[in-house]
Amino acid sequence: MLIELQNITKTYGPIAALSDLTVSVPEGAIGLLGPNGAGKTTMIRTLLGLISLDHGSGQVLGRDIRSQRLDIRQLVGFAPEDECLFPSTVGVEFVAYAGELGGMGRKDALQRAHEVLDYVGLGEARYRKVDSYSTGMKQRLKLGSAIVHDPKLVILDEPTNGMDPAGRDEVLELARDLSRNKGMSLLFSSHLLPDVEAVCDHVMVMGRGKLLAQGKITDLKERHDREFEIRVKGDQTLFSQALNDRGINAQLDDERIRVILKDAQGPADIWRTALESGEQIRSLKPRQSTLEEVFFHAVAEAV
Amino acid sequence: MPIFDQGYQHWNGPLAGHAWRWLAITRQGVRAQWKNKAVRFSVISGLFPALILSVMLIIYGLFEQKSDLLTPFLGLFQNLPDAIKNGPRAYRRDIWTLAFHYFFTFQIFFSMVIVLLVGPDLISQDLRFNAIPLYFSRPLRRIDYFLGKLGVIGFYIGLVTVAPVLLAYSLGLAFSLEFSVITDTWRLLLSSLALCGLIIVSSGTLMLAFSSLSRNSRYVGAIWVGVWILSNITADALTATVKADWCPTVSYTNNLLRVREALLDTATAQENLSKLVQAGTDQVRDAVIPFPLNKVARRRPPRPPGRPPSFLPALSTYSWTWSAGVLGGLFAMSALVLTTRVKSLDRLK
Repeated sequence: MLIELQNITKTYGPIAALSDLTVSVPEGAIGLLGPNGAGKTTMIRTLLGLISLDHGSGQVLGRDIRSQRLDIRQLVGFAPEDECLFPSTVGVEFVAYAGELGGMGRKDALQRAHEVLDYVGLGEARYRKVDSYSTGMKQRLKLGSAIVHDPKLVILDEPTNGMDPAGRDEVLELARDLSRNKGMSLLFSSHLLPDVEAVCDHVMVMGRGKLLAQGKITDLKERHDREFEIRVKGDQTLFSQALNDRGINAQLDDERIRVILKDAQGPADIWRTALESGEQIRSLKPRQSTLEEVFFHAVAEAV
Repeated sequence: MPIFDQGYQHWNGPLAGHAWRWLAITRQGVRAQWKNKAVRFSVISGLFPALILSVMLIIYGLFEQKSDLLTPFLGLFQNLPDAIKNGPRAYRRDIWTLAFHYFFTFQIFFSMVIVLLVGPDLISQDLRFNAIPLYFSRPLRRIDYFLGKLGVIGFYIGLVTVAPVLLAYSLGLAFSLEFSVITDTWRLLLSSLALCGLIIVSSGTLMLAFSSLSRNSRYVGAIWVGVWILSNITADALTATVKADWCPTVSYTNNLLRVREALLDTATAQENLSKLVQAGTDQVRDAVIPFPLNKVARRRPPRPPGRPPSFLPALSTYSWTWSAGVLGGLFAMSALVLTTRVKSLDRLK
């Protein structure tokens, strides 16, 4: 297991940041979701051994979060959400320094910094001062400094915050590549559900310091037996109207028609309507919940 | 072309043990500060007293051997008391002690300047740029962080204290060409190194504590100047008005100077040399004050009875333990401030 936490409780005065949290996460790319104040950041700090816990125990990569904190941090790379860069340093120095803090010799750290900056696409900007970097470049620099020591687990805290679409795609592409092709596990904390869905295959939803939902994204996205998504060759609006005329609840949703069947109805009624209206159905499939629905459902249940 | 087409290689190289991780912080800090011209200028300026110390020990070493190299300078020595001329080795420890005593008077000043230039940014900048997570998400403990930052101050103070002490001592040893130099002065060497350590730890932790109090380095510098200069002025004013024994301990540097006297045992050296006053004040003065400053000193009025000659250091009258207590208290306060202000990331965001 990548992460195993048992009954973790962490309070700050009257506020319970983590409340009897028990979670077990396999290796791979894990999305960490939750509204503000859900306990995501506290959980990340718990995994890194940065905070003292009130109660509970756990392991990250098989190391105890209480007694083997330094070992865990040696195996983990962390790219924080905040813009935490020294303004007067150049890119390669910044990444090399991160390597040195991880125990690399100066020469090794510099060499590795050059390699990593090439990998994250900052090879051309390596000798530029980091305060001249764009937001996307800064995020990639933080990612570079997080992986300079070749960690087993990379934790990315809101890595696409405030980025333009192109920069966001680059960071997501890098995160995907690290988890799928480079053998690193990934803990991807984000508010942006499409980003999590684009990178992760497993997700944890947190709220009020508790685990609300967890599992493979494909498993969490429920298949609905009585809800279908239809695309037709002709006019979607006309066919939607034809379905409604037949007593089938049909709504236009973007380029598709979403259909909700009543108990007495079946898919055959849809085919029959198409036959009668002379329409050609291009696609008819049971509707799956989106990650957004999974998230809101989990959060709503907890309230 | 995807940006990661350059490839990614796993890394299996050697890693340093946890015990030395703080050195990375020190190295980075030293490199960053060396770019500051004012720091470089202060360090180079701080080496001049070291040069004088070295020359003095070398000359005394040659004088002990009655070296021909000193022939052109014989005039400088002709007025020395007979006791010193006949047996310079007997006064070696006292002369060396005075030399180190005066050396540290200057070096404590340079140390304060260097701390002022190097220190304010050390933690303040990390707070300003939210860089604390960069450290604590790595395999580093808080003590490593503090040690690393202290190491930066220690390095630069060491350049003007530890390095000159070792160099001057080695040169004095080399030019004396006698094993007895070690037996006579090993305690002085250890005391000097201990004093260097005290200056580094005391001023370093104090500055780090100040640096952790503000995100603005200028405010930190202002606090340091306040503690250094204003405490001196206050101590002088209190000494002049209240006239109590404890008044000098209000000054931070006075406390360092007082502990210096105790560590180097300047009082003993002063007492031994004062006895030679019987042989003639001018002679002793000429022994410890280089030409032509001794001519100026001769014009001063005769000293009151019971007081040491003016060319010997005026020693403090209060107990050194008071100063040690003040410095210890400041250290404890600094440690408390540091642990409170830099609390890892164990806080609610």
